[in-house]
Amino acid sequence: MAGDESYRHKPIYMKTILRYFYVPFFLLISILIFSSFIKKDKNGIKKAYKKAGLTDRQAAIHLLNRFTYGPKPNDIDELLKIGLDKWFAQQLQAKLNDKNLENRLAGYDAINFSNKQVAEVFPKPPQVRRMAINDGVINKDSVNAGDKKEYRKLFSAYMKKKGLRPQQELYRQFISQKILRATYSENQLQEVLTDFWFNHFNVSITNNNSAMFIPAYERDVIRPNVYGKFEKLLIATAKSPAMLFYLDNFSSVGVNEANIKAMELKARNSKNPKLALERFNKNQKNKGLNENYAREVMELHTLGVDGGYTQDDVTQAARVLTGWTVYPISNYNGGANMIKTLDKIGPENLEKRGYVHDGDFLFTPSKHDTNDKVVLGNKFLGSGGYQEGADLLSILAHHPSTAKFISTKLATRFISDNPPQSIIDKMTKTFLDNNGDISLVLSTMVNSPEFWSKDALGEKTKSPFELAISAVRALDADVQQPYQLYSWIIKMGQKIYYYQAPTGFPDKGQYWINTGALLNRMNFGLALASQKIKGVKINLAALNNNHEPESSDAALKTYGKIILPERDLSATIDRLNPFLTDPNLFKKVSKAVDNVKPTMAMEDTEDEQMMTEKQVKKVQNNSTKNPSFANNMMLAQVVGVIIGAPEFQKR
Amino acid sequence: MTSRRGFLKAGGLAVFGIGLGGLPTFVTQAAAQIKQPGLFKRRKTLVCIFQRGAMDGLMAVTPFTDKHLAAARPTLFMSAAKTGTGKSLIDLDGKFGLHPSMVSFESVFKDGRLGIVHGIGSPNSTRSHFDAQDYMESGTPFKKGTSSGWLNRAVGLLGHDAATPFQAVSLTSSLPRSFYGDNPSVAINNLQDFNIKMSGNAKGANMAAKSFEDLYDTTAQGLLKETGKDSFEAMNMLKKLDTKNYKPANNAQYPNSSLGNSLKQIAQLIKMDVGLEVAFAESGGWDTHFNQGTETGIFARNVNDLSESMIAFWADMGTLQDDVTVMTMTEFGRTVKQNGTGGTDHGRASCNFILGNDVFGGKVHGKMDELAKENLEDGRDLAVTTDFRSVFSEVADKHLGINKDGILFPDWDGGHIGMMKG
Repeated sequence: MAGDESYRHKPIYMKTILRYFYVPFFLLISILIFSSFIKKDKNGIKKAYKKAGLTDRQAAIHLLNRFTYGPKPNDIDELLKIGLDKWFAQQLQAKLNDKNLENRLAGYDAINFSNKQVAEVFPKPPQVRRMAINDGVINKDSVNAGDKKEYRKLFSAYMKKKGLRPQQELYRQFISQKILRATYSENQLQEVLTDFWFNHFNVSITNNNSAMFIPAYERDVIRPNVYGKFEKLLIATAKSPAMLFYLDNFSSVGVNEANIKAMELKARNSKNPKLALERFNKNQKNKGLNENYAREVMELHTLGVDGGYTQDDVTQAARVLTGWTVYPISNYNGGANMIKTLDKIGPENLEKRGYVHDGDFLFTPSKHDTNDKVVLGNKFLGSGGYQEGADLLSILAHHPSTAKFISTKLATRFISDNPPQSIIDKMTKTFLDNNGDISLVLSTMVNSPEFWSKDALGEKTKSPFELAISAVRALDADVQQPYQLYSWIIKMGQKIYYYQAPTGFPDKGQYWINTGALLNRMNFGLALASQKIKGVKINLAALNNNHEPESSDAALKTYGKIILPERDLSATIDRLNPFLTDPNLFKKVSKAVDNVKPTMAMEDTEDEQMMTEKQVKKVQNNSTKNPSFANNMMLAQVVGVIIGAPEFQKR
Repeated sequence: MTSRRGFLKAGGLAVFGIGLGGLPTFVTQAAAQIKQPGLFKRRKTLVCIFQRGAMDGLMAVTPFTDKHLAAARPTLFMSAAKTGTGKSLIDLDGKFGLHPSMVSFESVFKDGRLGIVHGIGSPNSTRSHFDAQDYMESGTPFKKGTSSGWLNRAVGLLGHDAATPFQAVSLTSSLPRSFYGDNPSVAINNLQDFNIKMSGNAKGANMAAKSFEDLYDTTAQGLLKETGKDSFEAMNMLKKLDTKNYKPANNAQYPNSSLGNSLKQIAQLIKMDVGLEVAFAESGGWDTHFNQGTETGIFARNVNDLSESMIAFWADMGTLQDDVTVMTMTEFGRTVKQNGTGGTDHGRASCNFILGNDVFGGKVHGKMDELAKENLEDGRDLAVTTDFRSVFSEVADKHLGINKDGILFPDWDGGHIGMMKG
């Protein structure tokens, strides 16, 4: 064919032309295109921080302070070796080998369970009780009366026999894995972003229905989607059991004329029409709309409270999302009936009937409002079924208010509590131009000089979680019992995974720094450095290549530099020096050590920190036999003070 | 701020003799202090409780004669009629009935110490928890930019400097929005935690405390510096207190709940005369979208905790009752109609409770029309008939003697509704 012929020749023809005429032109165009796709610029970050007047080292520390849980002792040098641009690109890939982390996580089996496995192995206590009663192990009447101790014994023996475990263990493993990942993952940005997006799409263990599905929520819904398109993340959260339960959408039922009529007819034709109709009427009264998710998805997940929606939009959106519910995960709690219904229809017929079954998500057409709706001026035909909700979420995900809201939130997390408008505008534009691509929005941010502004350096206040993790990282600690750190993080004011409101923790320094919590930050520093946190081992001497500092002054200077690199600590050192160079310091410290008595530990409410008499003996022996012991105490105190000092509260 | 600091260093600390050394116990000092009214006069205390999540005012204090409400809430409506099974509402005045789980409120209401305002809310119709709380706590329902909270401004209007860091205390793990601002205020979650500790090494802890105090005193970080100062002053004052073995007066039984513990600690601070004038506590779990229950269930548990905590506090105050007023607040109410899942969605007006001897109690104040659809706001919610600011400002005026409404609630010139005596 002639057409074919000319087609075949075209490339050669084009090539010739290109070589002679268009090459410079194309080069120019591609430079223009690539400079707008900053991601392709291999030195974009370097240019941005040079423009802002930072040295390579300052920039490296800032990058680590923003995109990791704090630098470890050698991190800065390693980062400089790799190069900032390349390091950031690697972090966006999140494919670095994580053998160390994997080894540390190996003992935590439950964090890999599916929702179904979790429901099977960690049932709620009332469910266990019912099972035990059914199996005749526990007498129904003995539950409330009689010997509580005996009852508990029977109860736990029954659980053991059935291979069931208490829910607290699930949460313990889950919290431990977060601490280990934050401390040891090489793919730090992935963990920081997982924290960010979890908090953005907050769910809470305080919600009884949602709680047990939260580990899988973080693992399968949040973590794999932290770098991708915002829409994908939004839809994944909308369809997750954790979110469906937490914001009640699982229970929201729409007015469905056809279905009501069919059910009424069925009742009328049943064997006992009077009873059946009564039951039907009662059921109708208890069925209907729940606005909770529809409101929060607009206010908190996408548009923002000033994003331009009305109460009517909320109600209509709730109607669009009716029928979005959870696929029955266990037989318990009405699950058995649902499974029976679905089995009757048969899995092969679900799609034909308008159901959508996707993992733990189920769209139930009989619960869906089949009237037309209008949300934000977009019309949704009542016949749309599942697709109505998917379309609504897609509209929300790409809305200009969403782009602005998400960009502001990211900038607040990664730049400062009050990020400059100019960078929010750039990020918003990238969001809108690239279909909500989170990686590109982040790239725009780090490639902008505003990100590197001197005003932003050290401006973010560490949350209690960030403080604890940055401290164990800075000291290169061996965290064997991560849950011990959790009790400190709570005391400092952040009960992670238990924040009740859907806003998530506020991202403002003012929220974290308040009177009571501040003292506990200092107490944390002292406890960590003096090895009083069980299962968290540190080796202060090793941090300084096993050189013992000559004096307290030297200790302060040396360890100040290790823990807070590139910070101007001269004021801190001047301030602490008179106290630390007190000629009687060593005497005082060793006397304090000698004076340790079990009763003195009583001032402490933390049982786990109390010294037994045996331990006290050991301490006393150490101080007399080992002359460097007082020195170690001094060093621990210096390091504790540095961690509790104002500078270390910032990043 | 500086004037307070000056006062503290020159007056407060010198008077109390609090420091790191082994001075006489604080309690003795404080007791001696009462005898010197010129220097430190016992002041009145306002205790505010924020019920976060929006309390269903129509279930707490139900207009039980309203047939529209009965119809809108087929499974949630409770009646005041004594029926054979289940508990009924406590009839207050033939029109309103108190939820049966708040039975401990009955006697203080009948004694005229507990007042209720129904139809209270914000003129801003937002149904966002976070905006509505923000507006209520800043006290400026149409301005997001207000940096201070209304209780912080109230502290500034008390007309005298703080004698101690405890003039305004929030029993929360972080500072509430109501307390933001330039006037001194502290957040304390647990009085027992208020110390620098090194287990088994009290001397070391003392030395560390000294170095921390110095470091925070000289830091250039404003927030850390101020908070640090407050922390150490408060810590030094609390040092000698036996917070662990506190015994409430009059056999008061505080519920072992977050609110109960907060009010218990507020009672301790009031009795120890640390100069507490504005106290703040929180109560959660009011966002009852799902199965809120009737005489039992989530809502019943919440109102039970609220009323039991407040009544325990009131009993514990004993002879100090004249000096104390307790006021509750919540960001908005809930839909008149129950939703499809046995709960209620975000609405508009709710009610609040004010307990004290200067309250015009025994009465449900405010105005509530019949709940016919045409009387509802947006055709769905209990209409706001009393601006929350008129109640807050009346309580601040009559109990604390603050009458500068222009500063307390800028942009507002409404009047009082006469729910306080005097």
